[in-house]
Amino acid sequence: MSGNAAVLRDVTFRYANGEQGALNFLGLEIKRGECLLICGSSGCGKTTVTRLLNGLIPHYYEGELSGDVTVCGRDIRRTAIEELAGTVGSVFQNPRSQFFCVDTTAEIAFGCENMGLPEAEIRQRMDAAVSDMRIEKLLGRSIFKLSGGEKQKIACAGVSAMLPELIVLDEPTSNLDLDAIDELREVIAAWKSQGRTIVVAEHRLGWLDGLCDRVILMENGSISAEFSGADFFALSTRKLNSMGLRAAHTDCNYLESETGLHAIKPFSGSEVITLENFVYSCGGRKVLDIGRLELPAGSVTAVVGHNGAGKSTFVKCLCGLQKHFRGTVTVGGKRLRSRDMMRLSYMVMQDVNHQLFAETVLEEVMLGAAEGSEEKVEQVLEKLGISQYKERHPMSLSGGQKQRTAIASALLAGKKLLVFDEPTSGLDFRSMEHTAELLSSLDRDVTVLIVTHDMELTERCCTHILHIENGQIKQMVKQ
Amino acid sequence: MAGLFTADIENRGLVLDPRTKLAVMITLVVFALGGAGSDIQAVRLATIAVSALPVVLLATARQWKKAAVFGLLYAVLKSAELLLVPQLSGAALSIVGLCCLIFVRLMPSLIMGAYMLSSTTVSEFIAAMHRMHVPQQITIPMSVMFRFFPTVMEEFAAINTAMRMRDIRMGGRNAGRLIEYRLVPLMVCSVNIGSELSAAALTRGLSTGIRRTNICKIGFHVQDFAVAAVSGAVYILWILGMTGVVK
Repeated sequence: MSGNAAVLRDVTFRYANGEQGALNFLGLEIKRGECLLICGSSGCGKTTVTRLLNGLIPHYYEGELSGDVTVCGRDIRRTAIEELAGTVGSVFQNPRSQFFCVDTTAEIAFGCENMGLPEAEIRQRMDAAVSDMRIEKLLGRSIFKLSGGEKQKIACAGVSAMLPELIVLDEPTSNLDLDAIDELREVIAAWKSQGRTIVVAEHRLGWLDGLCDRVILMENGSISAEFSGADFFALSTRKLNSMGLRAAHTDCNYLESETGLHAIKPFSGSEVITLENFVYSCGGRKVLDIGRLELPAGSVTAVVGHNGAGKSTFVKCLCGLQKHFRGTVTVGGKRLRSRDMMRLSYMVMQDVNHQLFAETVLEEVMLGAAEGSEEKVEQVLEKLGISQYKERHPMSLSGGQKQRTAIASALLAGKKLLVFDEPTSGLDFRSMEHTAELLSSLDRDVTVLIVTHDMELTERCCTHILHIENGQIKQMVKQ
Repeated sequence: MAGLFTADIENRGLVLDPRTKLAVMITLVVFALGGAGSDIQAVRLATIAVSALPVVLLATARQWKKAAVFGLLYAVLKSAELLLVPQLSGAALSIVGLCCLIFVRLMPSLIMGAYMLSSTTVSEFIAAMHRMHVPQQITIPMSVMFRFFPTVMEEFAAINTAMRMRDIRMGGRNAGRLIEYRLVPLMVCSVNIGSELSAAALTRGLSTGIRRTNICKIGFHVQDFAVAAVSGAVYILWILGMTGVVK
């Protein structure tokens, strides 16, 4: 047996559908038992590498492939993807779309069942995986009722039970909060101690500090630099940013250390939006309990807090989306109830695809716009840098352009309060910077709230930080 | 809506074997929808009893709200058919009569379908099909469908929320294009999710080549025999009716 878990030699690949992430003469050896981090900006090809390792390329995603790919001693071209399943395990980015069953127990067993293992052995493997990950409490639950972090743990347990030699993770943390990331870190540490080979393609870096042995940086489909784990995490944030990477050390738990909560932009302005009686109970428990809060009009406020702290309930109430909510918002002397709040505010969701409906960008932004405002439409599109796309179909735009289209439609519909739900999750450094610039360049008559865990974004564009815990305001930070 | 097509395994009440549910469904299709044996008084009465079964089953699965709504609706329609329709004449007769005819026949099967989808897990479904020797080539695509619906429902809910925030709704300026506005994002999201879902399933070895095993325990219990007895009774009455033993 060789010491390599996988070898890629002179690999060139183009997606048949023109998707980003082509590879150019990539050469890579992955040693048995190592933990390898692949990083690089969006479209550099790191996801493509993970797809080669688990056989999705060439067996599922079509394209032109040349060069040799050997995974665990097998030629990837001549190995059917289901044969590879017991050898290579995969964890994906989107917890919504990687589950096959609707309950957790069946989901963990799913891979083993597909391998045709006898029932007794599946039970035994499941017990081992469940106790390794300490997820006894999650057994027998409905997948749809789990949090993102819990879902990701179930996915890991399912992979673990198949006892793969190589485990491939493609941006596993992009939908997770900090606590869930800590737990994922423990899972990976456990795999490492069992001697499994681990490959992670990631934007978020900090959580892998101390875990990964080797880091490769990719650019335009080939490897541009290689570091040992220790060297890589010793690099300064500025150096990482210049390579198009996110900072490695802002991911540490800023909510406890509170160091991350200070570096914010100055703000002046005296008008306020007053939130009153923001109280909401669910199942007899008060999820949200804020008596009164003054948001400076025109500010950009980050809403931070642990998972389940009440952040999403808070913004839902603010957008008038929460049923049976009786709080009020006073803006410019006018007192609004829940139904009117919907006219005041707009939420840009994490998946922008949900909120673009029309055939062209122009039609999209005109949907809610007042009659006879063509001039203003031009202005807004120009300002957001999407006027050249106004005849394009919104769905044909890139993620960032879609986000801008959604913002334009909200501005033109006269929304005064924009709420963003994790606008930078899964974005690389440059895209995050663009979003930050965009958010701070909005007119002062628009107030922005950003629900985020991204401290790099916060320090670039936020004027205030609202820290919510247990449904209450822990603190409101400003410069 | 996320409750539809998914079994809430944390609070599911009485569990029936999927095969029993299928047997009830077939019975309903034959007698309630197909109207077999409707010339025999005993079968007619028994059909009403069997038609009430899906509502009872929904209640045993602790889906109180659905059980109440469907139960009430069916009761109203059935009594309209029995009591109101004979009093009517002319246009009223054709409209009300036709509505009653269609819905009274269709509803039991529809309610049963809702119950089947909302009370069966994917693994139970696969296990049951396996026991009935249905080939994996049929079972696997069907189970993918099973898994796909709740996700599409989630997407649909998210899109509706977005539409409400944009004030695009019934009676608004754009009422005519409501369907298009919903379908475009729904289709884009569904295609993305469908493709990711298949990729994830493939990397976990889902294929038709290998004979799968299943750890899901299904089997017949007291409740299955009870339900089977009720639906079996209709067939017996039918046969007895045809041979002239009952009327």
